[in-house]
Amino acid sequence: MLKYSQERFVGIMLTALGLIVAAIYISLSYGVFDLTFAEVVKTLFGSQSNGEYDVLIYQFRLPRIVIAGLVGAGLGVAGAVLQGVSRNGLADPGILGINAGAGLAIVVFMFFYQGKLAGTDWFSILAMPFFGLIGGLAASILVYLLSWKNGRLDSQRFLLTGIALGSGFAALSLYITLKMDPTDFHTATVWSVGSLFHANWQYSISILPWFLFLLPIIFWKAHILDLFQLEESSVKSLGVSVGREQVILLLCSTGLVSACVSVSGSIGFVGLIVPHLAKSLTGIRHQRMIPLCAMLGMLLVIVADFIAKNIFAPAEVATGTIISLIGVPYFIYLLFRSKA
Amino acid sequence: MHVKRYFPYMILLAAPALILLMAALSILYGAKEIDVMTIQNAIFQFDPTNVDHQIIMSSRLPRAIGTMLIGCALAVSGALMQGITRNYLASPGIMGISDGSILAVTLSMILLPEASDLQRIIFSFAGSALGAGIVFGLGSILPNGLSPVRLAILGTIIGTFLSSFASALAIYFQISQDIGFWYHARLHQLQPEQVGLAIPFVVVGMLAALRIARSVTVLSLGEEVAVSLGQRTTVVKVLAAAAVMLLTGSAVALAGKIAFVGLIIPHIVRFLVGADYKWVIPCSGVLGAIFLALSDIVSRFLNYPFETPVGVITSLIGVPFFLYLARKKGGNKYA
Repeated sequence: MLKYSQERFVGIMLTALGLIVAAIYISLSYGVFDLTFAEVVKTLFGSQSNGEYDVLIYQFRLPRIVIAGLVGAGLGVAGAVLQGVSRNGLADPGILGINAGAGLAIVVFMFFYQGKLAGTDWFSILAMPFFGLIGGLAASILVYLLSWKNGRLDSQRFLLTGIALGSGFAALSLYITLKMDPTDFHTATVWSVGSLFHANWQYSISILPWFLFLLPIIFWKAHILDLFQLEESSVKSLGVSVGREQVILLLCSTGLVSACVSVSGSIGFVGLIVPHLAKSLTGIRHQRMIPLCAMLGMLLVIVADFIAKNIFAPAEVATGTIISLIGVPYFIYLLFRSKA
Repeated sequence: MHVKRYFPYMILLAAPALILLMAALSILYGAKEIDVMTIQNAIFQFDPTNVDHQIIMSSRLPRAIGTMLIGCALAVSGALMQGITRNYLASPGIMGISDGSILAVTLSMILLPEASDLQRIIFSFAGSALGAGIVFGLGSILPNGLSPVRLAILGTIIGTFLSSFASALAIYFQISQDIGFWYHARLHQLQPEQVGLAIPFVVVGMLAALRIARSVTVLSLGEEVAVSLGQRTTVVKVLAAAAVMLLTGSAVALAGKIAFVGLIIPHIVRFLVGADYKWVIPCSGVLGAIFLALSDIVSRFLNYPFETPVGVITSLIGVPFFLYLARKKGGNKYA
């Protein structure tokens, strides 16, 4: 298995890192207003203080890049875990209805509280991921329970149930947003199409704890995902408590997805494409694949967000739109390659 | 089985009465209360100066007729799709058809800003055909692509793709709001002229569906059976696709995306009358019309005095039903 050697893995990770740095640099310097290399470096390291550049980089461009990176990493890892658990390469947080569930809970939260709280209030910003988590958890638990058959997870039904619940949650969200007053309605609509337009530092800080807590657990459990690729009876005979591990991993990935959804709205397809790319680069071992998923997810969302910001500037396309335009052809290619 | 033999007759005989009843209810209830006598007068002795008469003739009546037309069209095209693909989840709502229509209407607004309503409706047909064509085309060349899971995923994905494309175009050409007006013109804004335009298309589609009903029954037993019974399956499939396009295209052009009617109704009808499409298709039409009219009435009261999009109601009824089907039939089997 020279193809998947350790050296190759390190090389791939370093390349990905290099590409991310390049993408960050490009997003920092180009846009409606271009900066030179020297200006970007000097402003970043504080050796030159120019009020305009500081505001541009620290208040507008950098927070947005950080959020894009976090969201990409979270969705990529969550997608890898979901595909591993369900043993189905077509699983994705969006298709499984987790995005829609988290979205519904956040819309409910906006409906009841947002009018009374200022938009930048710390409590409301920190509470959004929690509400997202409740909704996302409810959705994934429902999907999990409803697709349980004869004591095991039926992976076909896992997807069908997700699709159905997703459209149900979306309908409920629509109903609730229509009951909102106009300003809240606008916030909710902008948020629901998957946009990073409102990125700021508070959002990044509010989702950071989730990443710090959940990512290590997923890395720690990664070897179990390898075992899940075997027949369920073989996994059991290896002494793995299948149901419990499935639930733990499902909870972790739901947590990540909900945190991401709470700041960026529903961005689809990242969790679908990234694991497949990672698998073709490093092979199926999840201990290598999952870190690579995080890197590739970051890269994808940062680049997509850059395109979304600038392609029709000054008008802005939703980041989710760009990703689905890239993601759908790839997905169909995947369907062609898979057997049944 | 004895009872089932009489169900189709009962449904079809009761249809005129039920439809009149639903129309009356749909006209009666709404933001402004109107009594039965006024309706009678408005229809038989129309008085243009009377506000109530104007409300009935220009708003309530087209709405009642349009709603039932849409319900009927969606349910029949759902029944056809389920019969042809032998896939119990096939239905116009989840197959990317309405998203194709959104893309086509967006394109028509960019390329032909002066187009009339009729031209827009024709674009909407073309778009529905495009969406359905892509989904079923890919489904039939993919390995196992017409199985319930594959088709559902393909529909969802292609739908996302088409609507993303449409929204990017709309943002670039700055016509998002126009598109919004076209697609959020929900049932309460049905114009008498638009309903009038759609009626011939729906009628032609219905006649085609009834004409091929017997062949669909044979085809629903399986491709091999149909071929060995001497059926030209391609002809039947093409006719069915054309009928589906006419029916769904006019429904989407009138009211945008209304999910789940085409999924649920054919199942209920097959449960009531059995698997003979000679009866399934007309009964689906009747029950679809009644179901959507009822949902429409509920939608006026859910958030009174504001209206709720009728798609919310049909989804709330449809999702549990979809889950039940997925649970009972699983992912891979054909129904």
